[in-house]
Amino acid sequence: MIKSEDNSKNKCAIVSSKSDTKESVIDFLKKAMDEGIFDAVLIPMMTPAGDSFAYVLIKDKTLLKDGAPLSPIMSVQGAKAVSSVTRLGKGKMKIAAVMRPCEIRATVELSKLGQTDLENITLISMDCPGVLPLSDFLGDPKKGMKLFYDAAEKWDYKPMRPVCQICDKSSMIAGDLHIGTLGAKKDTFFIISNSQKGKNVLDKLGIDPKESADSWQAKVKTITEEKHKKREKNLKELKSKIGGLDNLTDTFSQCINCHNCMRVCPVCYCRLCYFDSDKVKHTSEDYLKIAERKGSIRFLPDTTLFQMGRMLHMSISCVSCGACEDACPVSIPVAQIFSMIADETQGLFDYVSGRDIEEPLPLITYKEEELNDVEDSND
Amino acid sequence: MRIERDNMNKEEEFMPKILAFLCNWCSYAGADLAGTSRLKYPPSILPIRVMCSSRVDPLFVVKAYLGGIDGILVAGCHPGDCHYDKGNYYTRRRFALLKKIFEEINVDSDRLLLSWISASEGTKYAKVATEFTEKIKKLGENSAKNKIFL
Amino acid sequence: MTKALKINKNSEQGIIELLKFLLESGKVKGVFTLKKINKEGAIAYSLITKSDELKDAVPFYPLMPTNAGKLISRFTLRGSTNDPVIAVVKPCELRAFIELVKREQGSLDNIFFISSTCGGVYPLKMAVDNTIEKNLSKYWDAVMKGEVPTDLRSACKGCEEFIPYTADMTVDLIAKNDVDKQCMILLNNEKAEKLTEGIKGEFLTKELDKGKLDKFRTKREAEKKKLFDEIEAKMKGLDGLIDIFGKCLGCHGCSKVCPICYCKLCEFESPDSEYKPSRYEADLEKRGGLRVPPGVTYFQIGRLDHITISCVGCGACEDVCPADIPISIIFKKVGESVQKLFDYVPGRDVEEEIPLLTFKKEEFSEFED
Repeated sequence: MIKSEDNSKNKCAIVSSKSDTKESVIDFLKKAMDEGIFDAVLIPMMTPAGDSFAYVLIKDKTLLKDGAPLSPIMSVQGAKAVSSVTRLGKGKMKIAAVMRPCEIRATVELSKLGQTDLENITLISMDCPGVLPLSDFLGDPKKGMKLFYDAAEKWDYKPMRPVCQICDKSSMIAGDLHIGTLGAKKDTFFIISNSQKGKNVLDKLGIDPKESADSWQAKVKTITEEKHKKREKNLKELKSKIGGLDNLTDTFSQCINCHNCMRVCPVCYCRLCYFDSDKVKHTSEDYLKIAERKGSIRFLPDTTLFQMGRMLHMSISCVSCGACEDACPVSIPVAQIFSMIADETQGLFDYVSGRDIEEPLPLITYKEEELNDVEDSND
Repeated sequence: MRIERDNMNKEEEFMPKILAFLCNWCSYAGADLAGTSRLKYPPSILPIRVMCSSRVDPLFVVKAYLGGIDGILVAGCHPGDCHYDKGNYYTRRRFALLKKIFEEINVDSDRLLLSWISASEGTKYAKVATEFTEKIKKLGENSAKNKIFL
Repeated sequence: MTKALKINKNSEQGIIELLKFLLESGKVKGVFTLKKINKEGAIAYSLITKSDELKDAVPFYPLMPTNAGKLISRFTLRGSTNDPVIAVVKPCELRAFIELVKREQGSLDNIFFISSTCGGVYPLKMAVDNTIEKNLSKYWDAVMKGEVPTDLRSACKGCEEFIPYTADMTVDLIAKNDVDKQCMILLNNEKAEKLTEGIKGEFLTKELDKGKLDKFRTKREAEKKKLFDEIEAKMKGLDGLIDIFGKCLGCHGCSKVCPICYCKLCEFESPDSEYKPSRYEADLEKRGGLRVPPGVTYFQIGRLDHITISCVGCGACEDVCPADIPISIIFKKVGESVQKLFDYVPGRDVEEEIPLLTFKKEEFSEFED
């Protein structure tokens, strides 16, 4: 069981780095593998055709040099990759997974949902500059890579996914270790331990976290506050744009019910989704009856039901990664919409998805006195 | 089933791994006969007994191929002699479909072989095993076993 | 010669008039067709029971948001409809439905089909920013002249199955230079003749113009060859396949929108396809590294094996792919090849058995040792 130690958040280690942070992270991982701390590393790698990036579980150290932590695109949400490795058991391998904070958070949520066993996994997050929308990369991968790396260097969010541009958790520590690049002096980065497991890794590597992480925290605070303001503004505008049944139906009018959004979502793990099950398969009589009542129904009906149902089922654990929006073939801003809902539903329970592995999912716990404003005021 | 070892130096020459799905009533018995008759054939065959060749799901073949196996042999009773009447007719169609797909996507269709071997055809089994092994040797190792991005 | 019905309106309006007649006369209870579903002009298939809703119908709009064969299968999945329904669908959608009926995923009872010689559809992406609306007149121009627009769905550009096989009524559209003034509906069987009894229009005998359609076919053939050659060039053994599917996200969107993929629990999402820790450990020992989640190429080859025998080449898969993989052409190419092997055309005839469910005592000796 990973236990969080709050006091270790204020202390960190400062590690000297090459000017290319990616290379230094790879070196760090290689050293850890050499020392036998990890048997394998889960990290993105460029595909042989050079047109995409995919998560690869690497055991052979010589492959590490081709690793690309914080890849320009997120073809598969990292939590899905981790979950596919340990859903059926923790296995013997000690694995380090280097991913974006939203992917780490989604992994933590999946662990709470019984979809991944994290005992032998060390989750390592990094300060995240965002990720490019898939469609801005696929047409010209070389151009996409340059666009991403140039923007990432300057922490320029403009080319990134719309939800990345308003992400106020891009430096959130949710795993075992965090690599902080913000506020670091030239050719260094911070390593912050967030759990006993993380601390053990640093111990074995002879790294003693005794430095102050103040400059990292200060820079993170600035960026987070700026993005938080932008998030509030954008989501408020979105709410007025899609609020109300008519606007909502119009927003999803192009939806073809392909369910791509659901299938790329790390939190949607159900093998048979409710909205693919027999429950939504009605008889022709029923369909005709409904059609008669309205004169005409779109077929298949229940598009808005699917979207609202998904909000109901997963917004509590939504990490606003934006994988859904990348996968939508008709460019509906699903990630922004779901982010807006998620902020509200998680806020209702004072819950932040993936913040703490010990924190139970809001719907499987309760307090005896709470949420009076939802109850009927007549008592 | 005893396999006679060849006098090849294994370290120098590539000895393919060939998965052979052998139907219980005909081909497996035929392979057994090859053994009891002390017929020589290369130690490349990894036999899997199935009750009927039609038990072979094309996905077994795909999985084995992507797993790195160098060749796949599906063997059953001669058409018309299937222990279950018509299983092997379906096998033939499924195999034709799969092989055609492999041909169309230009992926090593030569590594797949369908052969009808009856229980009395021990010699045929040894012959098929030898010839198929030779063919696979010429094709070389299946590179799928080293692929990372499968 | 076939009996035909001529309505002196543009072809789309003519069909709408026919549908109105059928609803109002009670000959059908419901109409299934493309319709504008909101003020912004979003288009979706709709089940219409009141004839005034038909004013927003756009039966031949060049868009396929979902393959209608899949939708009609869902409509009749739990049993055939007791009330007659008529559907306006494209030839590939009708063929897909017939293939689904063969698999007991739908019922033909009480459903009538209107189809047409099909000019193809535009990719979904073009519906998003209303580009299709802007291209409509260009599209109909091309249909009337018997030409192939370059920005059509690639599956449509190379489609040779633009004449429906089993429709009750076929609307003559391609290479017909008066579709904007006249609606010519071939009544292919008694059902169609009975349905149209009493409608205001001219009844005559007509055939499709074979000469013009053959000329059109050669244009489509040429496009198909281009598309097939392009993909063939990429198919260089296993490495070529890995390159093509390298950027696949494993979202399975292609499978979910495919009309032929009807399985409730797909093999490639079932526990059979999940890797246990021991398999990961063995694979990593062998390969040194493994892309996760695993099984991307396995899924693609597996799906090729499962569905290409009935692939109707509609192209819904490619429209939904977030990674822009030319999946519809790959499946179309393999599909045509395996269908040729069995001399099978999916959806040509509901009585024609799916090739893998039947056999001949002597065949395919070229595949035997």
